Amino acid sequence: MPINNNHNALADWQSEGVRATLKLTGHFNAHTLGGLWSKTRNDQTAWLKSNDASTQLSIDLAQVSYLDGAGIAFIIDLKHAQEAAGGSFTLLNLDARYEPLINQYQPVNNLFPTDDSDHHDRTNLIERVGKGMYELAEDAKLQTVFVGQIASSIGWAVRYPRQVRWNDFINVAVEAGVAALPIVSLVAFLIGVILAFQSAIGLKQFGAETFVANLVSLSIFRELGPLMTAILLAGRSSAAFAAEIGTMTVNNEVDALVTGGIDPIRFLVLPRMLAGLLVAPILSLFSDLIGIFAASLTMLAYQIPFVTFYEAVLKTIHVNDIMSGLTKSLLFGLIIAGVGCLRGMQTGTGAAAVGLSATRAVVSSLILIVMVDGLFAYISYKTGF
Amino acid sequence: MTTSPTATAENIIEVKDLTVGYGSNIVLQNLNFSVKRGEVFVILGGSGCGKSSLLKNMIGLYDPPKGSVLIEGQDIVTAAGTERQNILTRFGVMYQQGALFGSMSLLENVRLFLEEYTQLSDDEMSLIARCKLDLVGLLPFEAFMPSEISGGMQKRAAIARAMALDPDILFLDEPSAGLDPITSAELDQTILSISRNLGITFVVVTHELPSIYTIADRIIMLDKNTKGIIAEGDPRWLREHSDNPQVRRFFNRGADIALTENNLHPETLPA
Repeated sequence: MPINNNHNALADWQSEGVRATLKLTGHFNAHTLGGLWSKTRNDQTAWLKSNDASTQLSIDLAQVSYLDGAGIAFIIDLKHAQEAAGGSFTLLNLDARYEPLINQYQPVNNLFPTDDSDHHDRTNLIERVGKGMYELAEDAKLQTVFVGQIASSIGWAVRYPRQVRWNDFINVAVEAGVAALPIVSLVAFLIGVILAFQSAIGLKQFGAETFVANLVSLSIFRELGPLMTAILLAGRSSAAFAAEIGTMTVNNEVDALVTGGIDPIRFLVLPRMLAGLLVAPILSLFSDLIGIFAASLTMLAYQIPFVTFYEAVLKTIHVNDIMSGLTKSLLFGLIIAGVGCLRGMQTGTGAAAVGLSATRAVVSSLILIVMVDGLFAYISYKTGF
Repeated sequence: MTTSPTATAENIIEVKDLTVGYGSNIVLQNLNFSVKRGEVFVILGGSGCGKSSLLKNMIGLYDPPKGSVLIEGQDIVTAAGTERQNILTRFGVMYQQGALFGSMSLLENVRLFLEEYTQLSDDEMSLIARCKLDLVGLLPFEAFMPSEISGGMQKRAAIARAMALDPDILFLDEPSAGLDPITSAELDQTILSISRNLGITFVVVTHELPSIYTIADRIIMLDKNTKGIIAEGDPRWLREHSDNPQVRRFFNRGADIALTENNLHPETLPA
């Protein structure tokens, strides 16, 4: 937003052959120079181009009432262009108080960097691919180490259960679990409704609406319940863990733990992992039930009463189906909490790094969740679990 | 309160009956002081006496429960909309931790306010921003991200950013904390040169005694117990002439204040 500025500045450019005079009048600051600066520089460039011989530019500052840092930058810009073209440059009637301000930028050339002055290395495609592969391998290595650290810390928790930070565990479990109930219910309910409607439309053509219960209950218990819950948890809690631990990393809080002789894995990661392990299957079971309930409500529209629906569900679903879904949930919980914490611990410096960690936590969780889900589908198919 | 003799000049900031704090937690009460155009004004005081809170009230970040802060005649406490926006462009602020935007390079950090408020071209804005970075000695680092430079450098970059629009007033919150003595002294010289040559008014919160003696034209000293100003004026004069023992101890780096504050007994300390 340009600011209302009561000051005025004028630049009068006069050139005759190799000599030019610029008469400046008024108050020169970042606001008054808008437009004026470019115009003057254009005049100068045109004049410099039309004269190959040594040019002489003099700037008369007798009428200048005020010159701030922007005004000085303006004069430096004109001087630099003049000197770059091999011409001479004089300042007339410069107020003595501005002299040190102009002279403090020595050498002026430093203020005009060439294009290749960017300190960030330019790399070609092959280098970038190689670097990417290397980083991927490093990341895989870190993740493996992290899995080992977590396994050892869980072993430690089993041996010394009193030393686990159970208060943190409860807080995290409440935040990631209880607080997630509304959103999980909403999504599970809608998934149940949509699934029931979609399958009823197809099955009705064969007069087989009664089988909707079988179809919907199997897909919800084995697949959709755990998967949808995991996706919601990844979006809510994995990002939250990454952001929280990431901010702690940025603020050196994690370093403070390490130098204080406290293992950050046990202090920060373990309570979150345990909470994830507990919360994911419970939420998943909860979402299964809401989904089935929503489907049964939907089927009322097809004149299938509750009792018929539940009879069919009970006939279709075996303990194995529920256990398979819950086992998957347990793994998803591990992935969500683990990846969130890992990305948090890997956070660089600055606010942007925390955002990046949260993003990476969600993306990595989702990828791993889908991969584990696919693996499970294959195992179920092979073993019948 | 001890007051040293001062010359009269136009007041650029006037603080009237200002109370700092919130609810029942009042840190400072009924402050009255003014900052004169072109001077380097330093706010002093022990830890927790409300120096930073006072500064945040003066720059309009907090709404004080009572009082007014006039910046060039306009009250920042009650100003709203365009009027407030206009007051905000009159001053620049350097925060204690630098508060640079982490996703932008140093040059982009300094350029940001120019982009927002002026109609200059890209090259022109970059040149102005480079001049500011050069003033604080960070020109070679213009393409660096804040996370790639040291804490002291971040502070200097923050000063450069505060100066982007060449404001009339610069508020600096603990500028020399975290800087080595040489850089700190250089920074003091930069402040002095900007103040003398451009007539920019500085309001500085600091405890660094060498820095205070170098830059300060006038100081106020705040006190936690009386919740007010216990000294005002030229620090060199106050060091010699103040009748308040606490003020003299501060200027002479007296240790007994620290001892009484921490309830330590001198006899328990190692000799």
